Amino acid sequence: MALTQETSYQEPLLEISGLKTVFPTDDGIVNAVNDVSFSIARGQTVGVVGESGCGKSITGLSLLQLVPSPGRIEAGEILFYRNSDANPLDIVQVPPKSDLIRQIRGNEIAIIFQEPMTSLNPVYTVGDQIAEAVALHEQVDKKIARERAIEMLVRVGIPAPSQRVDEYPHQLSGGMRQRVMIAMALCCSPSLLIADEPTTALDVTIQAQVLGLMQELQAEIGMAIMLITHDLGVIADLADEVVVMYAGRVVERGTVDDIFYNPLHPYTQGLLKSIPVLGRTVQKTLPSIPGTVPHPLALPTGCSFQPRCPERIPECEQMPELEIINGNGDNDTHVVRCWLHADS
Amino acid sequence: MEKLLQVNDLRKYFPIQKGILQRTVGYVKAVDGISFDVNRGETLGLVGESGCGKTTAGRCLLRLIPPTSGSFIFGEEQVDLAKLTHREMQPFRKRIQMIFQDPHASLNPRMTVADIVGEPMRVNRTEKGTALQDRIVELLESVGLKAQDMRRYPHAFSGGQRQRIGIARALALQPELIVADEPVSALDVSVQAQILNLLAELREEFNLSYIFIAHDLSVVEHISDRVAVMYLGKIVEISDAETLYESPKHPYTEALISAVPLPDPNAQRKREHIRLEGDVPDPSQPPTGCYFHPRCRYATDVCKQETPELREVSQGVQVACHHSDTLELQGV
Repeated sequence: MALTQETSYQEPLLEISGLKTVFPTDDGIVNAVNDVSFSIARGQTVGVVGESGCGKSITGLSLLQLVPSPGRIEAGEILFYRNSDANPLDIVQVPPKSDLIRQIRGNEIAIIFQEPMTSLNPVYTVGDQIAEAVALHEQVDKKIARERAIEMLVRVGIPAPSQRVDEYPHQLSGGMRQRVMIAMALCCSPSLLIADEPTTALDVTIQAQVLGLMQELQAEIGMAIMLITHDLGVIADLADEVVVMYAGRVVERGTVDDIFYNPLHPYTQGLLKSIPVLGRTVQKTLPSIPGTVPHPLALPTGCSFQPRCPERIPECEQMPELEIINGNGDNDTHVVRCWLHADS
Repeated sequence: MEKLLQVNDLRKYFPIQKGILQRTVGYVKAVDGISFDVNRGETLGLVGESGCGKTTAGRCLLRLIPPTSGSFIFGEEQVDLAKLTHREMQPFRKRIQMIFQDPHASLNPRMTVADIVGEPMRVNRTEKGTALQDRIVELLESVGLKAQDMRRYPHAFSGGQRQRIGIARALALQPELIVADEPVSALDVSVQAQILNLLAELREEFNLSYIFIAHDLSVVEHISDRVAVMYLGKIVEISDAETLYESPKHPYTEALISAVPLPDPNAQRKREHIRLEGDVPDPSQPPTGCYFHPRCRYATDVCKQETPELREVSQGVQVACHHSDTLELQGV
């Protein structure tokens, strides 16, 4: 969506391949993220969609080596092209407490979370918290950092920024807090913003404001966005490409038009059919997906979606591979993990 | 059509108290004079953003919190529930039940499913012994659970199944009206559809009426016959679901509809996006005149001074806007 002169669309920023993040528990190992591969180009918006427990948030955290203990990245690589000419850096190989990852976090890859109240520190003013991020990554003194904080508050559209800068998070409304989070995330002009359910806790009119703001700032800074959400409406609004996850795996991946107008995986199809669409579904029975998301320690054999799938065939007892529907290996535009499309 | 409930000028003001003497220094007008009817067998959707008073309105109807003023005329007897004493209210409690938002918080973790679903019947002494057990099984089956589930505890169930337990409990006393407060907003997308379908089926089966409170317009539109839109404690528009979404009459309704992202990329690209400025005002210091005027793009001087009354503009459509006759607003 956001295209600036200096960034070309297909130039890769991040290439994730075979990512596997596990959580050892007393009852067994949970594969929260299992063999996840996709890439994000510079300036592009990639939506990651799925239900709770599908591994979408852990994928986001893995990119910054922020997986909470006892979780760990077990396999795969996350190639990060820090600048277009140099060799990429494999984030999986960077230790979680190293200086290198700290340089990347917040500076080159920033993250915002769902609940802005819990991600802001209640005992510091919002200005201090934004200035901290500036001071951490750039050699500037306190005064300049504070000015930068005010400047950022202006850019995210907070009224009376020179007063707001000295206020505490509890004095702000939910939408304002999320704007502060965005200000903090963008103060160092990152090349990638990971937005984990950025508007789920907000009202629709405030959500529209925040999403609009993210799009404007994206066009301005030229950053890529990895948008993690369960809301297909938000995906349709913002994303260029969509990754659909189910039980830790990518089940389908494609351009936003592929996913919405030509969904191939029965899960994607079911998900799209089961949401009520404004103006279209008055008083009809919604087609619903039977059953519930499987427990991560009791995944079914073969395809994880198989027990809920209306089109189950005997092959589903085996795990299908990701099949390329459209594309040529280097540039796969539409891939799906389903036996129904195994030979196309 | 038979009117099951008539709400007239319901108000709920919460006092703001300050100082050691706890003097009242002002009021938060959570619900500020709303009126609506619910017909038998009908679903009325109550939609609005957080803080608009939709939950408070629902709780007042069940007398879970005492209303400040207003009347609710209920049932064939035309009894005003707002005037009843606690004891007099008792028989009516069976007839109005509630389903809550968070299925994790609204079920006691130390009670089995049989205890939870059976409790309303034990408290009201409607069933006992094997008849009670049979009734519990019947209720569980009607919401799609199994008889063997009754010995298990809530933690053994997923969110959607827990919401089914909550629904079974609400059905236990064969109510006529169910107030459902955000019943699907804590659920996953694929499970949400199951619960919405279940609520629709149960409505047909038991001839229920619902007051369906939610913030998600697409969900409200889907399940409701009529929809009331609330803003800052007042109803700004009330009309049948289809009319409301196709041709809204209040600028706030228009903005709300426009803010909902459609899960359809092409339609989403083509739409005009109305972006409201600012936040919902503080309900303890509402703006003068029309509460919506500071955020309204059609506001004129009259909107700043005079509070518009809810008035009928066409058959079944009521709007509280000074300019509803002249505005051409866009729907979905």
